[in-house]
Amino acid sequence: MRIHAPEGGQSFLDHQPELFGAFNRLYGRLWTDGSLDQPTKETARLRNARVVDCKL
Amino acid sequence: MGRDETTSDDGVRTAAITTWLPVPEGTTDVLAMLPAGYDELRTLYRSVWEAGVDAVTLELCRLRIAMLLRSPVDAATRDPRAIAAGLDEDVVDQLPAWPTSDRFTDAQRGALALAEQFVIDPHGFTDDDALAAHAHFTEPQLATLTIAIAVFDALTRVRCVLTTDDGGGTGTAVTAARIGVAFT
Repeated sequence: MRIHAPEGGQSFLDHQPELFGAFNRLYGRLWTDGSLDQPTKETARLRNARVVDCKL
Repeated sequence: MGRDETTSDDGVRTAAITTWLPVPEGTTDVLAMLPAGYDELRTLYRSVWEAGVDAVTLELCRLRIAMLLRSPVDAATRDPRAIAAGLDEDVVDQLPAWPTSDRFTDAQRGALALAEQFVIDPHGFTDDDALAAHAHFTEPQLATLTIAIAVFDALTRVRCVLTTDDGGGTGTAVTAARIGVAFT
């Protein structure tokens, strides 16, 4: 990674726990609630990953 | 303030757009039509401005993204936090020439390089670019900058997709509406 995780952290985003938490709350909410079914959301996520060529 | 902007009592700054979305009358922010996540989105947006990177640098990145994605609403808006921090309109005018203009600090140039590559070609951000960014920002600041740029990019694309010309294209019904452009 070009930005290292802080000691004891797992992600570079652990450098900013409040910001990371806010991101996770939005991301989790979009997956657990809403009117779109999960396969449609996952299809969009995978398509986006392929378009930007993200191997993760 | 940009194109016909207003700020509500709860700190949501909205701008006027024309959209192809069927927006119910009385809707104060198109983004609030999200069935879930609007409050979380507002919290995340506010958080990026409070996580260790100066507001002028963030605003320059946001405006550069707006220019690259050709979003008039975003390009016309000025975040109040950046104005309070001393955003200079002469510097904003120089944004298209940021690599060579002497109006930008090296740190701002590093941030703008990251923002530009993020939008145009994230794989084009090289190890050398990353090293240069580390020369001007701490790792916590780089974490903030990365998330801030991602949020600016995402919201700008959302506004581009939802906004249409007044005519709306052949056969498209359009609605005058307001859309959130800053959450303070």
